[in-house]
Parts: sequence; C-alpha cells; structure tokens
Amino acid sequence: MSPAEEIPAPPPGRSWRDIRQEVSAPAMSRQGLRRQVFAWLKAGTLGLLAAAVGWGGYELVHAWKTDRMALATAVHSEPVREVVLITDGVLTQQWVNGVLALPKAASLMSLELPVLRDKLLAHGQVRVAVLTRNFPDTLVVTLQERTPVARVQASDGDGAPRQLLVAKDGVVYDGLNYDKPMVAGLPWLDGIRLVKSGPGFEAVAGMADVSALLSTVQLQAPHLYREWLIVSLARLAERDEIVVKAQDIPEIIFSRKRDFFKQVAQLDYIIDAARVLPEPTLKSVNLSLDGQVPVQMLRTPDELARTPQPVFTLQPSTQRKGNRDL
Amino acid sequence: MISSSSKIIAAVEIGTGKVAVLVGEIARGRSLNIIGVGVAPAHGVMKGEVVDYKAACEATHQALETAEKRAGARIEEVWLAQTGGHLDAFYNEASVNVKSADNTVNALDIASVCALAKEKELPAGRSRIHEIRRPFRLDGQAVPDPEHLSGRRLEVGYWIVHGPESKVSDNIHVVGGYHLEVRELVLASLASGSLLTTAEERTQGVLVIDIGKGVTDFVLYRDGHVLVTGTLPVAGDHVTNDLSIGLRVTPAQAEMLKLRQARGTVQTRDKADKVWLNGDASFGDRQFPKLTIETIAAARVIELLEVVRRKLGPAFAPEHCGAGVILTGGTSRLPGIEEAATRVFGLPARRGEAPGWVKEELKDPMFSTVLGVFQFGLRGAHEHALPARRRTGLLSNLTKIFATS
Repeated sequence: MSPAEEIPAPPPGRSWRDIRQEVSAPAMSRQGLRRQVFAWLKAGTLGLLAAAVGWGGYELVHAWKTDRMALATAVHSEPVREVVLITDGVLTQQWVNGVLALPKAASLMSLELPVLRDKLLAHGQVRVAVLTRNFPDTLVVTLQERTPVARVQASDGDGAPRQLLVAKDGVVYDGLNYDKPMVAGLPWLDGIRLVKSGPGFEAVAGMADVSALLSTVQLQAPHLYREWLIVSLARLAERDEIVVKAQDIPEIIFSRKRDFFKQVAQLDYIIDAARVLPEPTLKSVNLSLDGQVPVQMLRTPDELARTPQPVFTLQPSTQRKGNRDL
Repeated sequence: MISSSSKIIAAVEIGTGKVAVLVGEIARGRSLNIIGVGVAPAHGVMKGEVVDYKAACEATHQALETAEKRAGARIEEVWLAQTGGHLDAFYNEASVNVKSADNTVNALDIASVCALAKEKELPAGRSRIHEIRRPFRLDGQAVPDPEHLSGRRLEVGYWIVHGPESKVSDNIHVVGGYHLEVRELVLASLASGSLLTTAEERTQGVLVIDIGKGVTDFVLYRDGHVLVTGTLPVAGDHVTNDLSIGLRVTPAQAEMLKLRQARGTVQTRDKADKVWLNGDASFGDRQFPKLTIETIAAARVIELLEVVRRKLGPAFAPEHCGAGVILTGGTSRLPGIEEAATRVFGLPARRGEAPGWVKEELKDPMFSTVLGVFQFGLRGAHEHALPARRRTGLLSNLTKIFATS
C-alpha cells in the first residue's frame, strides 16, 4: 500500500474555517477597537515582562559565570543596624558585639558569616552558633551554650591560679556571666592533667561519666551533692573508678561500670546507718564492688573506747561548700 | 471568580429580530456555567443575512458588551449560530470494499469511506459549514462503530450543509469587528434540536421547527441521527406583513396586533367580536374584527408549516417520527400553533421546553438557539464525530492501569 493510499485526502472545497476572520480597523466598532487596543497593550505588557524576566535571567547567569563577587556587591544595600541574640544560656548581647566586632559601615551582605561563627565558637562556652541575615539590616545570632559540670584550677605561665569550668563533653573554658553561688556549688576536678591546645586546653576525657554521676546525685540525693568537694579522675582510666572527697568522708569510690543510681542509693543508706554509731566518722566507702561495700571508719570501737570524749565536737559538715570557694 | 482552567465563551445568534448573546464559563471543556446574557434589537439583518454591516455591528456589539458587563469577564472566543435562506445542504454517500483478507474492518477502511463521502465538490464560492455523519452500514446493516467487525462492504453518508462564502463571512466579520474570533459555527436548527430533544426522542424520530422573525429553521432526526436540516426565508415577519396589508395598518401596528391577538388556528366564531388597535382610546385608534386577524395569521402559519413539510419531502414520514413535532423560536409563542402543526404534519406537536438545568429567565424560546449552541458545542458535536480510535500499546495500557489504581 502506498503512502498516498494510506492518508485519505481532505474534502475538496473550502470550509468556513478557511475564511479570514481579521477585520480591518475601519470596519471595527468603537468597542472592537477598544478591545483590540487592550489586547495589544496586554500582549505588549506580557512581552515586556517576559523580556525583562529573560534579560534578568541572562544577566544573572552571565554574572554567575564571569564575576560572582559582582552578585554580592549588587546587593550591598543596607548596613547592619542591629545584631539580635537568641541564646539558651547566659551570654549577653554586649559580649556578642564585642566578639563579632563588626565594622560600623559593614553591610549585611558583606559579612563573612563562617568567619564570624568561628569567632563565636572560639569561646568554649559556645557550643553551637548560627548566624542568619534578616534582610534588610539585621544579623541574627542564635547560640547554644555549654553547661558547667565541674570546675578546675589551672595556673598560667606566671603562676597565678585561674578557675576554669568543665562541661559535660570535657571542654574546659572560662565561664562568663554565670551565677556565682551556682559556680561555687560545683565540685572541683582532681587527678587530671590539662594539656594546652591553642588558646585553650584539650577536652578532659571521661567527663561524660563524671557528668552522669553528678547529675544522678544532684537529682536523687541533693543533700549528698552539697557535701561533695572534689571529684578525682586519677583512677578512672586504669580502674574505672571515680573517687569523690566529701566534706565529712575523705574517700568515696564509685565505679563507672555499675549503675550510678544504685551506688548513690547505697551511699545514702550507709551514711544514714553510720549516724547511729557513737562516732559516725567514715574514712572510706568503696561502692565499686558489686554486692559488697567495704566501709572504713576513722577509728575502730576499741580505739574509741580508749579515747577521752571532747568537751564539744566540731562537725565539718556544718561548713557549707559554697562558703569555701577559693 | 473565574478559575484559570476555565474558558469564557460567548454563544451568539444574529437573528432578524434580535441579537442574543450568552456568556458561559466552560470548565475543563465539560461543565457549563452561564454567567452573562445580552440581548439587543437586531438591525441590518434581513432573513438571517447581513444587509447593513454597520447597523448589524452596532446591534451585535451592544449585545456582546452587555453580556460581557453582566458576566464580569472578558469573552475569549465566540460560538456563532448560523442561519439564513442562503444556506443549503445535500446528502452524499460512499462505500468501500473492506480491504483486509479476513474481512475485518480497520481504521483505514473507516477513514477512507468517510473521506470519499465528503469528497463531493461544492459549487464555486460556497463554504462547508457542517458535515453531519449518518450511521455506518456494514453489508447493509447499520452499526455505530464498524471497527473490528467483519463484513465485505462499508457504507456511510454525510449530510453536508454549505452556504455562500460571502454571506457566511459577513456574520463572522460582524463578530470580528468586536475583536473576537469565531471558533465554532453551529447551524441554528442543530443548536435548537440539540437543546430541545432528548436522545430517546431523536431515536424515535422527531421534527424540530424553530420559527423566528425572518427565518424558519428545521431539523429532522431519525434513529438518533440528523436526517435532514433546512432553512426557509419565511417566518413571523410574513404573518406581520400579511396583517399589515390585510388590515391596512403599519408594520409596527401589525406586529403589535400579532403579538396580542394572532393565533396559529382560528378560534373565534363571532364575526362581531372586535379588538381595538391601541386600546387606549387615543386619536386614530380603531377596531378590527378578531376573526379577520386570526384568519390571516392562521393562513400564513399553515402555509409556512406546509412549506416546511414540502421541503422535507420524502424524508418525512409520520410513522418514523414517533416523538412528534417540537416548535420553538419567537413565533412559536402564537397560541394554537401546535394545533396547526398537528394538522399539517399529522403528528402531536408541542412547544419545546428547555431542560431543567436552564435558569428560569433563559427558558424563553428566544434563547433556545444560543443555549443549543452551547449544548451542541459541548455534547452534540461529539455525537456526530467519528468513533474515537482506541489507543493500544504497552504505554497506554500502563497508563490505564495507573489511572484506575
């Protein structure tokens, strides 16, 4: 079958659809002319709009390919008028302004946000920093801060002692704007060696376990926490033990292998049980052994019997931890 | 609010007595919502033909502007009703031998026979307006869709409506003068017939007569298909003209008497029963015998209907027209015209009633053509189109699966 046979020919003669419908302007009515002008204007406007969009797109692509900096300078419009701080901690707007140190005439688009963020993160108290441009003239700084778990004393090169704070992740930093009684209530860290790293120190290992122990005792037995003076990590790496020096117990040994809640509960029980003794002075409590808790008293009952009783006793626990701040 | 997926279309009828415009919002090519109406007295149109371009433009554009304002939307395209004594039609049929060895009809056979049936040449200067297909016949038996059926000989016939290009283009240019494009041209009789008849009536056989002011359009349906269409340059104006001559009054007075007193059949028996011309006892007011008015009007109505019957010729047979005669158009409002039609055609006759979805204000017979233009454009046209070809293949089958899942 040939192609000519396959396609039936269209019917001969003209259809009404072949009639030319355009009408010359003199043959149009006033309303028709008005509609025509409106249609032309509409088409013209749409054409101009399309051309403008096309031209804008071309310019954008061209600038992107040839000179990307021009794109940034093209929007150098408004200088930064305000820096807004949103934080979950205690750092202040003034501190942020000081750290960022923005030039007075700096425009919003000219700010190097990654550099500014690094400036903020250089301070250990800042855990997360997010900087966003809020057009036309506002820089929004959103911070998440670290919470101190313990404190540590370090000496600078000239030997002057300096109090630093240690967070749960082991980061050591200068605490700013914290409530002084809160800081005074933190236990001291012992048995660690601070290693310099740039302007600060390397993170302290094992702080996650210390934090877990401290948060457990703070939550479950706040009366015990108040008595804790020093937390030592000296035996943590070798024997998985955290040694705590409390106000009236020189040594309390915790094991990070055992549930801290159980160990704290045992300690609370032992302290309560020791109170009924005539001389309730504990020397050491070892909670690291599963099943047994060796307790060492300052003096045995025989020694006590031989010792004359003092006229009055001075209980160390009456001195509050917060009052013994350095 | 006009949604972005809808189209604003105007159905326009440029009649001898009035120009009617309906503005419809057609959503997704299916649902129609009439949102604007515009009617203006027609000028410059005689028997459906434009004789004064400026006057016709003025009237048509006035109606279009009114409809646009009422719709509160801009018309995007026009579907135009076409009528007039200049229209003519003929029937042409063709047959082909089924080509495949197993005598199964395929798409090519159908396309070939349709092309052959439409191949008849028109006289010079005439344009095709409609090509209305009648049912296919396979070995002499009528079938709605012959594809994949077995047979030796495939036949089809087309009723081809055509008109002088100059006259058809006049109507199109009147609309073009409003800076609008005519997208569809619908024969007025097909529009009215599509609106006023149901599929059952068309299957039973029905004759629809649209009697306007200057033109009478008619369409005869049988077996669900259009059998004959026609247009006569005789209508309500001739009744007015006869009254004007017979009673020696002006055409305007005759028109007034026709609207008030004329009937399709004579009812008055008392020769002394008279009616006033104006009825306001003004200077020049006089009386006419009611019997005379009725006699003149009825004679012209009967004559008009007989001309329709003669034009139908052998195509009309009362036994194949079970649904009777439906009358519409402005002149169909004459009382007693149904009895006149019953007498002429020997069939029950009634005035056409618009379907239920039409608003009360649009149920007047003068809107039946423009409403029918929408109806025909949306639905009727598909009934006469070639059967849709079935899509086959893996991709279309997959599409169907996902479409129904």
